[in-house]
Amino acid sequence: MKILFFTGKGGVGKSTMSAAMARQLSQQYRILIVSLDPAHNLGDIFGVALNHKKHRFTDSLYLKEINLQKLCRDYLQRETRVLTDTYRYLQTINLDNYFSVLKYSPGIEEYALLTSIEETLRSENDFDYIVFDTPPTGLTLRFLALPWITVTWIDRLIQIRRDILEKRHTIYRIRGVLDDKETILSYDEDDDDILKRLKKLKGNYQTLSSILQGEDCGIVLVYNPDTLSLKESKRLIDGLYELKLPLRLLINNKIQQKYTAMADHVDSAMRTLAPAIPIQRVAFSEALLDGQNSTLYDIEETLLSPFEMK
Amino acid sequence: MTTLIIVIGFSLYLILYLTYGKKLERDVVKVSNDQSAPSHRLYDGVDYIPARKEVLLGHHFASIAGAAPIIGPALAICWGWAPALLWVWLGNIFIGAVHDYLSLMASVRYDGKSVQFVATDLIGKRTGTAFYWIVFFLLILVVAAFAAIIGGLFVKIPAIASAYTYKIIAALILGMLIYRVKMNFSLATIIGIAMLCFAIWLGTVTPFKATYITWMWVFFFYIVIASAIPVNVLLQPRDYLNSWLLYAGLLIGFLAAIFAFRGFEVPAFASFSPVLLGGKPTPFWPAIPLVIACGSLSGFHSLVASGTSSKQLDKESDGLLIGYGSMFLEGFLSTIVVVAIAGFGYTALKTAAAAKAVEFTLNASNWGATFTGISAKLGLSKANLFVQSYADMVAATWLSFIPAKFVKVLAGMWVASFAMTTLDTTNRLARYCLSEMCAPMKESAQGLYNVLTNRWVASIIPAAIGIYLAASGNWLVIWGSFGASNQLIASIALMTGAAYVAKKLKSGFANAAVIPAWLLWFTVTAAFIWFILIVQPGAIAAKPVPGWTVTVILVVMFILNFVFIYDFVKSKSYKKAE
Amino acid sequence: MISSLYRRVRRFLTNIDATHRQKAAALTVVEMEELENIFALLLMGSFTGLPSPPTFLAVELLPFMERELRILCKRAESCNDMLAEMCGTIGID
Repeated sequence: MKILFFTGKGGVGKSTMSAAMARQLSQQYRILIVSLDPAHNLGDIFGVALNHKKHRFTDSLYLKEINLQKLCRDYLQRETRVLTDTYRYLQTINLDNYFSVLKYSPGIEEYALLTSIEETLRSENDFDYIVFDTPPTGLTLRFLALPWITVTWIDRLIQIRRDILEKRHTIYRIRGVLDDKETILSYDEDDDDILKRLKKLKGNYQTLSSILQGEDCGIVLVYNPDTLSLKESKRLIDGLYELKLPLRLLINNKIQQKYTAMADHVDSAMRTLAPAIPIQRVAFSEALLDGQNSTLYDIEETLLSPFEMK
Repeated sequence: MTTLIIVIGFSLYLILYLTYGKKLERDVVKVSNDQSAPSHRLYDGVDYIPARKEVLLGHHFASIAGAAPIIGPALAICWGWAPALLWVWLGNIFIGAVHDYLSLMASVRYDGKSVQFVATDLIGKRTGTAFYWIVFFLLILVVAAFAAIIGGLFVKIPAIASAYTYKIIAALILGMLIYRVKMNFSLATIIGIAMLCFAIWLGTVTPFKATYITWMWVFFFYIVIASAIPVNVLLQPRDYLNSWLLYAGLLIGFLAAIFAFRGFEVPAFASFSPVLLGGKPTPFWPAIPLVIACGSLSGFHSLVASGTSSKQLDKESDGLLIGYGSMFLEGFLSTIVVVAIAGFGYTALKTAAAAKAVEFTLNASNWGATFTGISAKLGLSKANLFVQSYADMVAATWLSFIPAKFVKVLAGMWVASFAMTTLDTTNRLARYCLSEMCAPMKESAQGLYNVLTNRWVASIIPAAIGIYLAASGNWLVIWGSFGASNQLIASIALMTGAAYVAKKLKSGFANAAVIPAWLLWFTVTAAFIWFILIVQPGAIAAKPVPGWTVTVILVVMFILNFVFIYDFVKSKSYKKAE
Repeated sequence: MISSLYRRVRRFLTNIDATHRQKAAALTVVEMEELENIFALLLMGSFTGLPSPPTFLAVELLPFMERELRILCKRAESCNDMLAEMCGTIGID
């Protein structure tokens, strides 16, 4: 199963491009296209009303819109239930109030997104391609970085935890159990719930990390032929290289006949920024301005999946 | 005579423990096992764990035993053996042990919080803060006093220097065995003790000779490095070996003293004001608490008792054994020291004079005036005198099968080991005190605050001042200042204990605490005044820089003393009825 | 008579053994508790304003952190009163 992430500045035509590619690929393969962008256009592009669930467009093309707010709420509710269950007998904070504060915590959105991607990847495995339309650059980079950041933190915490267990083991070897009351603190790695949980989490995130960095994953960067778009793209490319995420395709969208010089200029700059990455050009759709109600804005059916290209 | 004194001492302690001690327990502290101790109530499996009272006693006693109960009596013998013994016995029973016991029990009643916290609650916030200041300066003086003692020992008996170095290596190895390899504990202990004996023996055959100043430099670097490495590398295994040294030294000393059957060669009562501190006539009152500290009364003990021991007390009735009883044990230790020196010290001095072909003028009539000077000149003062007397005492009994050289090094190691551990542990604590003292500066003088609380700066400052004083200061003056500061803490702690008993408990027999508390306070204050006005000018004249350093420290503490008593009286803590 | 004497001696030796073991482990115990405190602070610092790992890590591990939370709170309470405890643990004099 291959994964494609369509990234780019807001308004460059990510959703359109991702929809177009999905549409084309669905002629050969089974495709699921998921929109993560809070400003959803997926339903509009395909002319259907989408809710949180998977929608069958054709036999080989399924659509899904992720409701970020609902995701966050669900996630928080789940975790709060864990808290309520565990701490039911302890006198604690008023959980309702705490719950509403938590939704402003940094990281909840990214984590919720990441969780939903992970879930999607795990559960929807009878598709050949999953195409993701991502939110604007900042949020995208943040949630793409999340697996790696998390692994780093978990590593540190595991190290401290191991130190603690090591010391407990030493104390046990020296002192043994003092008297009946003392519960034996776990000192073996296999006994410690926290360490086991940390390792499991690390495993999950490492798996996710390796999927995102792997051969079957590709990032598609969509941009427009103007300098602002170029600058934004540079930021994205730098971010992607830092995270070792595989950029596989560049799409120069909304090319107009009169401005090909600019398009060429931008393209050559992009080639310097991202050497050896293929560039595809897509023309500006006159149908847009004409007011014609054209689905998929008449995109030429030449958009190739980067995995098909070699 | 030696035997007689040992027996009397032992009986005295035992009888008074069972009578006076029990009365304290019943009527002053009003111990009751109905209320469970914090170790049960606040049980957390780490700090708050109930410990069997015998185990806790061992732990507590090992924490408070050190080099001071040995050094003090060695100096105090200049008054004659009777005054010294009197203070070790009566001072201990009625003031020192009461101080320890009350600190422990007050802490227990305050959920295991420290005496500092109790003082803050009962007297005032300034008193709590004063602890950091006084302890900080006290720690510097401790470093100075002990570094000089060890330096003197290493120079006079080089075998001790080498034995100690080997012991450090043994401790490092033991640390690895116990904490890294996690070897079976009993096995590791046996290996450790074997290495210790080997170290002592090896020391006797390969002495390290070096000058006093060289040793001062070595100690300085040792302190800074040792207080920066993790505790399980050196500190823990070394402390562990030390406790075995303590038992060996105590056992051999006790047996030797009982079987020595020797008369005392030292006069019973030499003079009320012999020449001692700072080369000046030192009146027995108020100076005796400054000279004999730990064997009889020591402020440090209140911190130890209320720091960890109170959190591990199984039930309130164990407190008497732990707080009161362990102080008696230490008093008994000092008794053995007095006995050893009184019985064998004079001969040791005479022999040393003969060896150096020097005329020996010391006798019973000029004892007070000349003892201190002569013993210093013969290199047989303070620790050295003890080591020699101890070795002679053992040699005079059936224990003489142990080679004399070995016994000498064993005794020297005993003193040196405890003194050395104090050197780097005080540095760790001094760092902490310094950062607490600087806390008010955090906002107002941030640059200075950052510099002072930097790990290395905070480590070097107390070490540097301490070692400097050890190298150049008048040692007897430093020892006296150390004693004064220690007893200032004791005074505050005892006052706090008395306040607790009188104000909170409203005990009928509270005078058992209140009277000693006021007595102690007056003694300490008088001692400070005498010290600053009479001793210091001489010290400053002799060596201005160390002299002024010590004077400044003393004056600061003296001021804190008055601030404290003002807060105390204002808080009306001492009034029984409200 | 002999058996009670024997029992007493055995108890005495057991006590000495226990004392030594306690003492040898004492500092490691303090170290361990401090590490647990640090672990808890790192993980849950975000609840008190410290920069910390992604919050969800804390929430994921929270059900298992009862002991660490207790230590965190206890240490927060007693961190102003550490002088005596340190004196006792390190063994001044």
